[in-house]
Amino acid sequence: MVSQAGGQTGTDHPWPLLSPKSSLIVLLFAVAVFFFLLDLVLGSVKIPFGSVIGIVSGRGCDNEAWEKIVTYIRIPKALTAVIAGAALSVSGLQMQTLFRNPLAGPSVLGISAGASLGVAMIMLASGAAANSFAIRQLGLGGSWLIVVASTLGAAFVLLIVLGIAIRIKDNIVLLIVGIMVGNITISIISIWQYFSEPEQIQDYLIWTFGSLGGVLGSQLYVLATVVAIGLLISFAASKSLNVMLLGENYARSLGMSTLYIRITVIAATSLLAGSVTGFCGPIGFIGIAVPHLTRSMLNTSDHRFLMPSSCLVGAILMLGCDIIAQMPGSQTTLPINAVTALIGSPVVIWVIMKNRNLKSSFA
Amino acid sequence: MGYYEEQKSQVIVCVNKEVLHIQDLAIGYHSRRLAQEAKKYGKKFRGKVVAEKLFLGLAEGELVCLLGPNGSGKSTLMRTIAGVQKPIGGHVTLDGKRLEKLSTKEVARLLSIVLTDRVMTGNLSVYALVALGRYPYTGWMGTLSTDDEAVVKKAIETTGIRKFAHRHIGDLSDGERQKVMIARALAQDTPVVLLDEPTAHLDLPNRIEIVRLLKQLAREQKKSIVMSTHELDLALQAADRIWLMSPVKESDSRAGVEMISGMPEELILDGRLEKAFKRNGFEFDRTSGSFRIHHHYRGCIGLVGEGMLAYWTKRALERIGYRVVIDGSSPFRIEVSDDSGTRCWRYYNGKNSKPVELRDIGDVIDVIKESKAGEAVI
Repeated sequence: MVSQAGGQTGTDHPWPLLSPKSSLIVLLFAVAVFFFLLDLVLGSVKIPFGSVIGIVSGRGCDNEAWEKIVTYIRIPKALTAVIAGAALSVSGLQMQTLFRNPLAGPSVLGISAGASLGVAMIMLASGAAANSFAIRQLGLGGSWLIVVASTLGAAFVLLIVLGIAIRIKDNIVLLIVGIMVGNITISIISIWQYFSEPEQIQDYLIWTFGSLGGVLGSQLYVLATVVAIGLLISFAASKSLNVMLLGENYARSLGMSTLYIRITVIAATSLLAGSVTGFCGPIGFIGIAVPHLTRSMLNTSDHRFLMPSSCLVGAILMLGCDIIAQMPGSQTTLPINAVTALIGSPVVIWVIMKNRNLKSSFA
Repeated sequence: MGYYEEQKSQVIVCVNKEVLHIQDLAIGYHSRRLAQEAKKYGKKFRGKVVAEKLFLGLAEGELVCLLGPNGSGKSTLMRTIAGVQKPIGGHVTLDGKRLEKLSTKEVARLLSIVLTDRVMTGNLSVYALVALGRYPYTGWMGTLSTDDEAVVKKAIETTGIRKFAHRHIGDLSDGERQKVMIARALAQDTPVVLLDEPTAHLDLPNRIEIVRLLKQLAREQKKSIVMSTHELDLALQAADRIWLMSPVKESDSRAGVEMISGMPEELILDGRLEKAFKRNGFEFDRTSGSFRIHHHYRGCIGLVGEGMLAYWTKRALERIGYRVVIDGSSPFRIEVSDDSGTRCWRYYNGKNSKPVELRDIGDVIDVIKESKAGEAVI
């Protein structure tokens, strides 16, 4: 190889752009809007597209039942899907970067299990009066209780995993530790279940199937607020997360505090994954898969673009899964948690096989 | 030893501004367990000392090669200078300021590093990766100003990686990737650059190119560069100064590592390099500046002649196990001559024998091997 040192000024090598094509992000946004409307249109009850547009734009509709269905059921559900998709994707993205591991995600490293523990404590321990619907009927106070419990549960597990992460530098070991901590948490829950009343167990089991439909009224504001705070923290950490791509040693040499980024990611992930898990149940797959999909699509590792794009991709996927879960035209609905994995996993396998750049992302 | 070195280096340092100064530094590991154990016996424990009494200086525009066998503390010294690891005693002064009084942000503007760590930025273009070097200078979103972009572009052009600036780091060869990491350190725009074994895993052309690039950066951009390496020959050729960490017997020094520093030629001429290697069982040849592989000679042979031809004849003879002396009176000897391109080796096998004239170095070696010349004489 001949040395090219000394200021080669060939015009045949234009400087690459730092940002991915903005048209791609615009396209993602358009697709997200389309899926949002589609989610409003499709469901057990057939409502024409024009009527839905009319209701959404505030012009109203002749059919009062349709208007009620769209306003009080479908719009909150679609918004929940958008919020949950964005929150889980962004928390997965941060964790994959922090742990330098492609398999990291809220459900793998025990964060969802921690959130489940928090919820189980509320649902199972607070006696017969406190089934999940009773708590939901408590309104704002009750929904806060679940969010706080699941966020604290998520933060608790993540703190344990991170405490170990500080001592252990090996990512594979850390991943195994995370999975084990998750298992311990789950076993605590099952012991708890074993000694609980069947009705309480049923409520908890239904919660674990996941549901986007249970977040209504003031609860939606609570979820949106908590997720918005989590997203803000995450977006603000983009620059530091980019440097984390170089590894902790380089990050430190660039003047970044690794403790700061760890605390930031713990806080943001607990808020995001914890609150979504609290309201919608433990939704798997999205947190791991969407960051990979987004990286493949945008062909970048820059978090300043990955963060907003992951939000959009996560929202699109979540809306898509919700549409399928509704089984349009039929009276049945599938649990959302099953659909995300069933539909999503093959999509991810296909994208990764096609692009083959997963390995280089984490080499 | 330390003070002597210090005074000597001061003389040289006066020419250029000193950017890094190491005063009575002791490096090693702080251990809570050992400290508690020592406390039990009423002793004060500082930590596990790897090397101590280090007095070193690094001048502006100087390329220093840090040599030493595995485990001698090269990486520990590098980490201590970079401020990643706390010193056990003494001080590191960076640009006239004590390292421990600087914040990590301030250190990041004075010192950049190139590590052996692999980076996992497969989906990041080379350009974007080099741009990460601007982290200490950019705002909270890390947006590059036009000045920042100019620095990044200059770093890319200086290191000669412009032609793959758009490619992903995962698609590059080891040599190319090393240049990218050097460009990233340049983008950080610091007076001091530390490199941890930048030539490891590289083939010879790439190794030479990296060292050439570092020399160029020291000369043209006045960077002060410390690189740790195992390549003695490259270090002797390229370095303005050598820092050699050499293990000694425990009785000589408590830490067990002695630091030898100086100009490469100075260290060779005054025999300090040879002595340091000899202690560890290596024969360092002052004349050629390389290691002798053979410990046991099969014989001794005289060599008469000069220039390149004599040098390589000597190398060939040494390779087959002869000790070569410059001696025209030896009964077993070779006289080399090169008359306007006609090479001739005259081989005298014992007293009063007629010389055998040979035209090819391969024949010379065959004949000498066959006749077992001078094997009695060692």
